[in-house]
Amino acid sequence: MDESLVTLMVLSLFLGCGCWLIFLWAVHKGEFNDIERPKHRMLDDDEDLK
Amino acid sequence: MQCFHCGANIPAAAPMEIVDSNQATLSFCCHGCHGAYLLITGAGLGDFYRRRTASPAGDQWVPTPPGSPYADTGSHFSGDYLSRFVHCKGEENAIDIIVDGIRCASCVWLLEKMIARLAGVRDVRVNYATGRAHVVYEPALASASAIFSTIATIGYTPRPYTPTAAAEAASQEQRDLLFRLGTAFFLTMQLMAYSFALYAGYLQGMGDRTKFYLQIFSLLVTTPVIFYCGRPFLAGAWRAVRNRASNMELLIAIGALSSYVYSVYALAAGGEVYFETAAMIVTLILAGRVLENGAKRSACSGVERLLGLCPLSAHRIREEVVETVDPAELRPGDLVLVAPGDRFPVDGTIREGITDVDESAATGEPLPVVRAPGDSVVAGSCNLTAAVRVLCEKGAGDSFVSRVARLVEEAQSRRAPIQGVADRVSAVFVPAVIALSAATFAWKLLAGAGSGQSLMTALSVLVIACPCALGLATPTAIVAGTGAAARRGVIFKGGDILERLAKADIAVFDKTGTLTCGMPQLLKVVPAPGATIPMLLSMAASVETGSRHPIGKALVEEAACRGIEYQLGRDLQSHAGGGVTGAVAGQEVVVGRLEFLRDRGTRGMPDPFPEEDAATAVGIAQAGRYCGCFLLKDRLRDEAADVVSYFREAGVRTLLLSGDHDRAAQAAADATGIGEALGGLSPAAKAERIASLKNGGAAVLMVGDGINDAPALSAADIGCAVAGGTDIAIETSDLALVKPDLERLALAHRIARRTMTVVRQNLVWAFLYNAIGIPLAMTGRLTPIFAAAAMAVSSLCVVGNSLRLTRVPRPLFVPNGRRPGGESAVPKGQAPSMRSPQSPIHHPPLSGEVPPGHAEARHG
Repeated sequence: MDESLVTLMVLSLFLGCGCWLIFLWAVHKGEFNDIERPKHRMLDDDEDLK
Repeated sequence: MQCFHCGANIPAAAPMEIVDSNQATLSFCCHGCHGAYLLITGAGLGDFYRRRTASPAGDQWVPTPPGSPYADTGSHFSGDYLSRFVHCKGEENAIDIIVDGIRCASCVWLLEKMIARLAGVRDVRVNYATGRAHVVYEPALASASAIFSTIATIGYTPRPYTPTAAAEAASQEQRDLLFRLGTAFFLTMQLMAYSFALYAGYLQGMGDRTKFYLQIFSLLVTTPVIFYCGRPFLAGAWRAVRNRASNMELLIAIGALSSYVYSVYALAAGGEVYFETAAMIVTLILAGRVLENGAKRSACSGVERLLGLCPLSAHRIREEVVETVDPAELRPGDLVLVAPGDRFPVDGTIREGITDVDESAATGEPLPVVRAPGDSVVAGSCNLTAAVRVLCEKGAGDSFVSRVARLVEEAQSRRAPIQGVADRVSAVFVPAVIALSAATFAWKLLAGAGSGQSLMTALSVLVIACPCALGLATPTAIVAGTGAAARRGVIFKGGDILERLAKADIAVFDKTGTLTCGMPQLLKVVPAPGATIPMLLSMAASVETGSRHPIGKALVEEAACRGIEYQLGRDLQSHAGGGVTGAVAGQEVVVGRLEFLRDRGTRGMPDPFPEEDAATAVGIAQAGRYCGCFLLKDRLRDEAADVVSYFREAGVRTLLLSGDHDRAAQAAADATGIGEALGGLSPAAKAERIASLKNGGAAVLMVGDGINDAPALSAADIGCAVAGGTDIAIETSDLALVKPDLERLALAHRIARRTMTVVRQNLVWAFLYNAIGIPLAMTGRLTPIFAAAAMAVSSLCVVGNSLRLTRVPRPLFVPNGRRPGGESAVPKGQAPSMRSPQSPIHHPPLSGEVPPGHAEARHG
């Protein structure tokens, strides 16, 4: 039982690490530099979506 | 009637009208606006106009009319000059542009679309928060100057952006904090899963091995939270220890470290661990810090914008040849040509030419002033009417604007970081807790307990005294308070501002643009015998149409409001500092200063002139015969008197400091009920006056607008900029009002006081918890697991109490329309501005308070 517990905990840590790396990448790329604009961007119902 | 593009009032005569595809008639105030409309719709972006009105912030969108002197700056940047700001990346070029005039999300949308339509532009990103655009383009197809002129054509002001060291550092810090916060959140989430398993194990029983694994994993995820994410606190605490001082960071560090050390010890010795306590403190405090940092960052860009006022190129005259140079190359003694619509690159004196100069950027006074040969001009102010030659007196680095920028920078850095309420508390609390903990250890040891047992008890005292509630008491209340204020259009640039505002003893007001609207308004028309008011207005509007002078605009507006018909004058001529002449129905009409009329030999001038104190008189003459005069005055804001009386009743002294002459300052003070007024002060004198008030021990709130107030705003404990003033003043102040409405200032003051009350309640609560918990822990009766539960409850109480602040505070005054007429403190001829007879403490019911279209409305 303990083995499966440890395995699951390590697995969850790995999964979490994946999300964490995505977050680090996003900060690095400057995705959080402007947190006002994106919420309006979705309302731009343009035909020419890039 | 209002212009479809810029929203300005259109004179009744000959408006530009077109019929759009939906058969609706659209009117424009000038060809510039019409052109902008055609450009925008031609690009298929007509949606902008619908968006603008549909957008909740739409009522704030005021584009620079294309005809204004600021609108065509784009074309003044030569390609050569701009090439310095372009970064080459392989086959692509990129440029960062500061765009002035972005007011709402629709502006961002329009800018992005317009620039993206240019051939060769690959990517555009307009940052709404910072007002900067990043454009990537192919140099073969597009050019920086094409991008600049596109931005300028649709009514925004572009300037090349050069990052300053301070701004770079600030954004680096924000990124660093975000990294730490994200990591802390991620690890704490993992940790909580293990902790809940451990709680269950504690209550229901759990195998020792399982418990050990869970504890080991807890240790694994907590360690980076404490030593990586919590490093800013640990470093701050270490500084405090070295300086033998005590601050909030020390308290946080002790709380986190003690529960961490205790848990590591318990893990080795076999006991319950409290890693989640340590991790939670760090994560929550870090979150508060990220929010606060974001607000403070904008202060740096204020100085950037201030320096951006200086034109980036200058026209130097050498042996009658004009060459374009960088203003930094100008030396005292150089002769510079400044065209109408340009800004002066350096401080200097005029050599040739007479012109009207808009010095509002430098002095805050909205009326243009006349500058003739021998007069000095200030860098950054705008040349309105005629080309002049200016003798450079100081290098660009020593210009007025640069000096103000330096003053502001200095004041910002000199300002000691205010240590919050909790800091002063921790100064007493930290040594006391350490002493108690040490005493417990010694006492247990003497009582015969083993050293391990004694250490456990001593550490549990530290854990229970953990400043969770204490640490949260201030930040949560401040985040809730600033959030509530922001939704009502008051922006605090940091939590410490709330505290300082709540403590202000004296409120200092600027006059022009702060207590007054900043635009002259027609007070009275005094017709000469035989003339009528509509006739005078009609004549004045005929010659003043198209005038850029605020007085001319006010006259034209008045004629349009009254629906007076007028024809366009011919041979219109503007005489700097005098007035306007033109021909209406074949007869010469002169509108201008009374002295100007007299100098032109006007017959029938009245003697003495009709006078009204502090009002500007403008005469009108037809065919050389005096017909009457207009009295104009900058009107006091409707709510000014209410706000002054609010402050008086809140126990705050009031003072008026003005750059205007003494008489005008005193008149404004009397009308609003301000106790004391001083006039004729330069920007530096205002700042000095405030510094001396501060030396006298008072906490000073300064309310102003205009760059001339920037040093005073920085010198005061709290600087508050009223919107409608310059961006620079707003960004260099601590507290900004998004709409020029002084009621918001009173609201801000109330929110600040309420927040401080909540902080005090929170602190009392946190202390109560400690006062009960610590003695129990010292006697070893409170096991840490119950202490942790009690702590969670106490933290929840603190957070809940803070959240009360987000509720809508009741309004301060009866709204304008329903304001009952109380005793009038207003001199005759003054715009109606009644002091509300009821005290601001008895509030009318809330319903119907928020006028439609106000910033609040969109947040419901």
